[in-house]
Amino acid sequence: MRKVVQCDRSPQPVAVAVGVTIVVAMATFSACQTPPRPPSDLIAKGKNLFFNETFKGNGRTCGTCHRAEANLSINPAFIATLPPNDPLFVAEFNPDLKKNFENPKLMRQFALILENLDGFEDLEKQFVMRGVPHVLSLRTSVNSPQGPRTGWSGDGAPGDGSLRAFATGAVIQHFPKTLNRVAGVDFRLPTAEELDALEAFQLSLGRQQDVTLPLPLKGIVPKRGQEIFLDNSLGKCNLCHSNAGATANLGGGNIGNANFNTGVETLPDQPADLTGELVPPDDGFGKPGDGTFNTPPLVEAADTGPFFHNNAIETIEGAVAFYDGESFNNSPAGRTLAAADPEGVGIELDGTQIVAIAAFLRVMNALENIRQSIELLEASAQKRFMERQQAKELLKRAITETGDSIRVLKGGGLHPQAVAHLKKAKELAEDAACSIFSRHRLTEQAIEEQKNARNELVESSPARS
Amino acid sequence: MLKVLMQIGVIVAGLGGMTYAHGQQMTEMFIPVGQSPGVSDKSSLIGTIDSMDEKNRTVTVSAQSGAQTVGLTNRTKIWLDRSLLKAPNQLGTSADLQKGRKIEVKLEQGERKQVAEWVKVQLTEPGAGPGAAAK
Repeated sequence: MRKVVQCDRSPQPVAVAVGVTIVVAMATFSACQTPPRPPSDLIAKGKNLFFNETFKGNGRTCGTCHRAEANLSINPAFIATLPPNDPLFVAEFNPDLKKNFENPKLMRQFALILENLDGFEDLEKQFVMRGVPHVLSLRTSVNSPQGPRTGWSGDGAPGDGSLRAFATGAVIQHFPKTLNRVAGVDFRLPTAEELDALEAFQLSLGRQQDVTLPLPLKGIVPKRGQEIFLDNSLGKCNLCHSNAGATANLGGGNIGNANFNTGVETLPDQPADLTGELVPPDDGFGKPGDGTFNTPPLVEAADTGPFFHNNAIETIEGAVAFYDGESFNNSPAGRTLAAADPEGVGIELDGTQIVAIAAFLRVMNALENIRQSIELLEASAQKRFMERQQAKELLKRAITETGDSIRVLKGGGLHPQAVAHLKKAKELAEDAACSIFSRHRLTEQAIEEQKNARNELVESSPARS
Repeated sequence: MLKVLMQIGVIVAGLGGMTYAHGQQMTEMFIPVGQSPGVSDKSSLIGTIDSMDEKNRTVTVSAQSGAQTVGLTNRTKIWLDRSLLKAPNQLGTSADLQKGRKIEVKLEQGERKQVAEWVKVQLTEPGAGPGAAAK
């Protein structure tokens, strides 16, 4: 399973480090710390449910759309690799779900999923088409002072609206055998114990806390990108994505995860619209919607596109450029930023600045991938001879993670030397997975290569070298 | 300091960030009485309908804790839980709030008066449907 971080070790003390600033900044990329995690058996149970439990429905599981091999999301390139009988395509082969359950064309072309967020009274016309958000670092993003925020518009869960309750709504929306959606006939609802386990598993995924910016980055362009990102008079990114996470800090302290109307819905030439298929406007939070959508974390962004709730933009560069465009600057969020700006400017960036911010986000993503890869490799190295199957599974996940970091850096033409180290690390991990007697040695070498790659991206502190 | 806080408040409100984070529960209607996660086991009122006052738009529920009268508003969603009949749940009306039927009420948060956010009425009689009593 990708991006699962089992942290069974005690937190590593970082206070002994020499460069306090650097170490604090790096802490979230290097060690599992607070908060305490639920028992590992509950997480394991949740993982099994997430990927294997169909809840007596149409054959889908949570993992059908939140693919382990695709950063717990899904994208058109990955969809193209799936066999025709994959449960994702249930609307193509189950006659009861042929109409008004999914739009196969939009699913295959743009990884869009149909949701009846404004009700089930008019299935022909009353729906929205949304991408699949990854479920990484939920512990840092799902809660807000106003209550839990789940899904793209922050209101995806029935019941008490919590992440725990979300699975119940997902089963009803995405798992039914027929559109009657009768509990006990078309699916069974998750039990209270299953909801507990699913929540524990989801909260265990990815980062458990936010990064502290700025990081001591080495690359000139990513470094400049970080400066622009943090500059509240230029990039203004950090206002709503504090520390590249999913919480807002508008100057008076962190206000937690929030919803904003950034005008994504008004983008011209949205790919799904260009097909001529019916794509009703998505009014976001509530019914009738207020046009707002939830803020996702950015550390994981570069390898989890396409971007925004409607998968309107394919690349991280395009996603950053959106905030320089008219759709954003004419939106309520853009106008509010302009109103607070001494020169009345919302966000105005040039091409080089857009690429610099994207480069920064690519490096952030690669650092997170490296952090996870090292954790996985270290966990694998601790496995004994009789546990080699588990070790192999951990190695596989590290290989996938490393592949992502290579892709993310190469895609931005960034840090070729780090890419070379990561390629070497990947080869070593692949060799380790096939080796019976040299697994430990090869894994240790792969860890070293990961660290070498990281040292190409950020200044290393004496405590970490 | 106050000025800064007020400015932040204006910005946050303008950006939409303070939206109360739980407004859309369309899948709720398919969840049978007593099974709403985080609600049925904690805060909802479950019992049988004692009476319905159409004029004052209130329903009195006989629950374990005693009789309780709850207000209905134009915002209150009424759903018919037909899962015991193995039939799809439907939207209902206040005419479906008939004495003796099992009911679950979720109360609106932060209301001084007890007002229902949603109501689920369990139907067990074949043929019962939306507004059947009024027909």
